[in-house]
Amino acid sequence: MTNITLTVNGKSVSRDIPDETLLSEFLREHLRLTGTHVGCDTSQCGACVVHVDGKAAKSCTTLAVALDGAQVTTIEGLANGDLHPMQEAFTEHHGLQCGFCTPGMIMASVDIVNRYKAEGRTLTEKAIRHELEGNICRCTGYHNIVKAVESAAAKM
Amino acid sequence: MTLYRPDSLDSALSLLGKGGMTVLAGGTDVYPGLRDGAPPAHLLDISGIAGLRGIARAGGQWRIGAATTWTDVIRADLPPLFDGLKLAAREVGSVQIQNSGTVAGNLCNASPAADGVPVLMALDALVEVQGPGGSRQVPLTDFIAGPRAVALDPGELVTAVLIPDGPGQGAFLKLGARRYLVISIAMVGAVIATRSGRIDRARVAVGSCGPVARRLTGVETALTGAAPGDVARLVAAADLPELAPIDDVRATATYRNDAARTLIARAILMAMEAPHVA
Repeated sequence: MTNITLTVNGKSVSRDIPDETLLSEFLREHLRLTGTHVGCDTSQCGACVVHVDGKAAKSCTTLAVALDGAQVTTIEGLANGDLHPMQEAFTEHHGLQCGFCTPGMIMASVDIVNRYKAEGRTLTEKAIRHELEGNICRCTGYHNIVKAVESAAAKM
Repeated sequence: MTLYRPDSLDSALSLLGKGGMTVLAGGTDVYPGLRDGAPPAHLLDISGIAGLRGIARAGGQWRIGAATTWTDVIRADLPPLFDGLKLAAREVGSVQIQNSGTVAGNLCNASPAADGVPVLMALDALVEVQGPGGSRQVPLTDFIAGPRAVALDPGELVTAVLIPDGPGQGAFLKLGARRYLVISIAMVGAVIATRSGRIDRARVAVGSCGPVARRLTGVETALTGAAPGDVARLVAAADLPELAPIDDVRATATYRNDAARTLIARAILMAMEAPHVA
């Protein structure tokens, strides 16, 4: 067991956890933040994507203990009173079917738009499709997801 | 399971000396493996060791610290020699995996399909190892001893990947069953130095076509002096004894042999194109 302190969605949280606790498990089981989904549990599908110190990470591929002191943002921390523009855009363009991949898709998409804006690069439809390679939608609803990201990018 | 997070190389080596440690950097190969059996009793996370992350050039040599991630490689300002390494970096898993996974970890995992290996072999990479006996450098071609096997003695830790500076432009091509997030069927790393439009020195390596990635020394020699127009013919006619692919779920050996030969010619021509922004 190790004591860790993390900032999750802007709030400091401290817990004693077994060293083998994955970040996904820590968020879901210890903090009950079940918006972060676990799909494949083998770091392929991207349903578990959160932001760690501002970068997209697969939370099923990260030990929580190794993140002592880090800032973590999950899907629950994205809305600030109103929905985040990316959440609005996924709603407006119906960027989901069953919705299981949606939290990871949204977290990955926010990271993509932030990165492209910071680097002054244009986010084309082709770039969105490439950048979303780490997120799999098994309903194959990609067209509306891409439309949503394009729309949100214009507003972010 | 206990996770150790040393902040200095000395304390990491001291912990490693006690035995029974699984070394962890980005963890992108370690974590998925945790579901396959009992977790390792002791994990040694080297990502917090000062000075182990970053890319720098000194004394005619580039040094990629052992905790350097693939995203660090993509974002680094590097000469055309590294164009192939940058392309390979973009093929490792997805953005999230590139943010965590390290170059050195890709070598230590020693998968026959490791995206980083062929291009680093073509760059004549050396692996810097530190252990109880001090520091030593091992050519990457010797370091990877077999599938999932590396030439590390007990108590030793990879501290950097070293690449001799020099002329040339790199290229990398990977073939998978789909475009993204895929384990390769065949892949080729090439570094070509040209003089007056002809090949002065060719370095080519193939991965996923045998138990370990291999340099293609016969083809390299045959290509010396070749113009771009000669490449396809020379590669088509070349004997490629280094290729020893198997039939598996991803492709047949026959298909791999054919695809590898096509990728070799394409990668060489790509490495001869006018320099471009990678």
